[in-house]
Amino acid sequence: MHGIKRKEWTKELLRKKREEERQKILDYQQLTNDVLNSKRERITDKNAFLKTTKLLDINPEFNAVWNYRREIIKTLSLQLDENFWDSELNFTMEKLKVRPKVYWIWNHRLWCLQSYPNSPLKIWLKELAIVSKLLEMDSRNFHGWHYRRFIVKTVESLSGRSLNSDEFEYTTKKINQNISNFSAWFQRTTIIESMLSKDQISDMDSFINNEFEYIKNAIFTDAEDQSVWTYLIWFIKESAMKNIMEPELYSNMVKALIENIVLINDDELSFSGKDNGWCLKTLIVLESIQKEYLKEDIQSKSQEYLDKLITIDPLRKNRYLHQLKNL
Amino acid sequence: MGQKELLKEKHINYVGSLDSKKADLEYWLSEHLRLNGVYWGLTALHLLDSIDTFNKEEVIEFVLSCWDENTGGFAAYPRHDGHLLTTLSGLQILATFDALDRLGSEKEDRLVNFVLCNQKPDGSFQGDSFGEVDTRFVYTALSCLSILNKLTKEVVDPAVEYIARCYNFDGGFGLNPEAESHAAQAFTCIGALAIVGKLDTLTNDQKENIAVWLSERQLPEGGLNGRPSKLPDVCYSWWVLSTLAILGKADWIDFSKLTDFILNCQDPKNGGISDRPDNEVDVFHTVFGIGGLSIMGYPGLKEIDPVYCMPYTVTKKFQRSYAD
Repeated sequence: MHGIKRKEWTKELLRKKREEERQKILDYQQLTNDVLNSKRERITDKNAFLKTTKLLDINPEFNAVWNYRREIIKTLSLQLDENFWDSELNFTMEKLKVRPKVYWIWNHRLWCLQSYPNSPLKIWLKELAIVSKLLEMDSRNFHGWHYRRFIVKTVESLSGRSLNSDEFEYTTKKINQNISNFSAWFQRTTIIESMLSKDQISDMDSFINNEFEYIKNAIFTDAEDQSVWTYLIWFIKESAMKNIMEPELYSNMVKALIENIVLINDDELSFSGKDNGWCLKTLIVLESIQKEYLKEDIQSKSQEYLDKLITIDPLRKNRYLHQLKNL
Repeated sequence: MGQKELLKEKHINYVGSLDSKKADLEYWLSEHLRLNGVYWGLTALHLLDSIDTFNKEEVIEFVLSCWDENTGGFAAYPRHDGHLLTTLSGLQILATFDALDRLGSEKEDRLVNFVLCNQKPDGSFQGDSFGEVDTRFVYTALSCLSILNKLTKEVVDPAVEYIARCYNFDGGFGLNPEAESHAAQAFTCIGALAIVGKLDTLTNDQKENIAVWLSERQLPEGGLNGRPSKLPDVCYSWWVLSTLAILGKADWIDFSKLTDFILNCQDPKNGGISDRPDNEVDVFHTVFGIGGLSIMGYPGLKEIDPVYCMPYTVTKKFQRSYAD
């Protein structure tokens, strides 16, 4: 159980609850028994289908019943038209609205789309719009983002057209709505890698520069949020862009980031009297790039940063001690 | 804060009473999690050194009654469908009671076959024939085979390659390649590598990067979250801390603050542990809270094996390597 407040059950409350539930339990047991028996007897008629609807309305997490429902639908599939599949998609949507984190329901929905007569492009495009709606309700829903990637891949394969630039814009939109949406930042990393590998960026210099400005803007907007810092480290250390840039340009970019981050940290220091942990952690990464990758001769402050981190972020003290040893 | 204690007796009573809640609708609505629930409860009791709270013979009979003749795996409950998740729970329970032989060789062969049949050409595993692929199932599959001493190079090598593809730049793992990092997936991926003795396929930089990402999961209130900017939750005391422990870096988070957070999630009246303070308790958070405390060396608890989420006394018999 996640996120449900604990309730004080007095004897009286418990008695009332149990009295209210007694009949519900009996009905539920009978329905479950009925459905599981017809499942065992492999009955796959309309009536059995309706019973699964009734049971899933009460308990949308009952995976064996979703499985059985698919078996029934498969047997009846020749008699089923698009109206049926549309209503089945509606049924799963009702359930997802109540239980957006149940794997079985997402799976069933995906199966419906794949089994839809001829599985045309238009239903997948419609689904893309639907998943955008779902991600408006909860912009970090892990299942929603996973599902979106799957839908996008299918649309791409059916249409023969890459959706990278649309999806790139989508992540910009989601990040602009909420800069702490790491799901969107993460998605952006995979889309950029894919754009690079497919040679989809026509003006590389301006693309890299725009991304650099976007990051700079973000760290000035919210220097407390780890999403942006994680993305920054990906951009400068892990992404394929690093290998594309001229060494001099790359070195200047690292320097510029360091200057800006020092500025942000100094501001915070004078404002609150405390260093910003993420600034220090990122500076350490940038210095290691200068030393180990660019082989630049710099006055490293990493030791000082780690000493400060031990004080301002004691939760992770042992990690910083370990890093100090390995400097 | 700091003075709370683990309410051992209350938790034992709570877990012991789970099967007597048949007058509550929730009991019936959670039937699809029953076999997992028995494993969670049994492991919690084992860590609390109170395994006799459950009737051994009844529990073994229940596990065997969950056998699904159609798939050749265990289901969550009689007449439900076999799935890798519940198949592992069934084996874990039998192993805990040292009763794996009760399965019989015919069923054991079918079960191994069920696990192997769910491996895909890219090394990943689906949970059942309905095709959901997730790094959770790589872990469950390899854990099942390890418990039954059936790990082979043919299964392990592609699985390890698949896990490598799920590693992300930030030091986490996704449920599939290109999926966002999630702490539960860090456990399933690192745990799976540990089971098959393949942690050395990760570079030292990667291991450090993973430990850094995991250590960032601790929040100022002491609890751990599963992804950046999410709320803390007791179950991550297991997923995050066990993974750090496997990597030999458990102390990269603050034990005393996490201990306080877990203890504050206890129901002081009826026992059990919840996801966050003052929330409704359940057996899932109870075992993972106690498991986290065990890793941190909380006094009076049995020592838990972070790889299998079972006491070492049970897992020492499991297969950890295989002939090349």
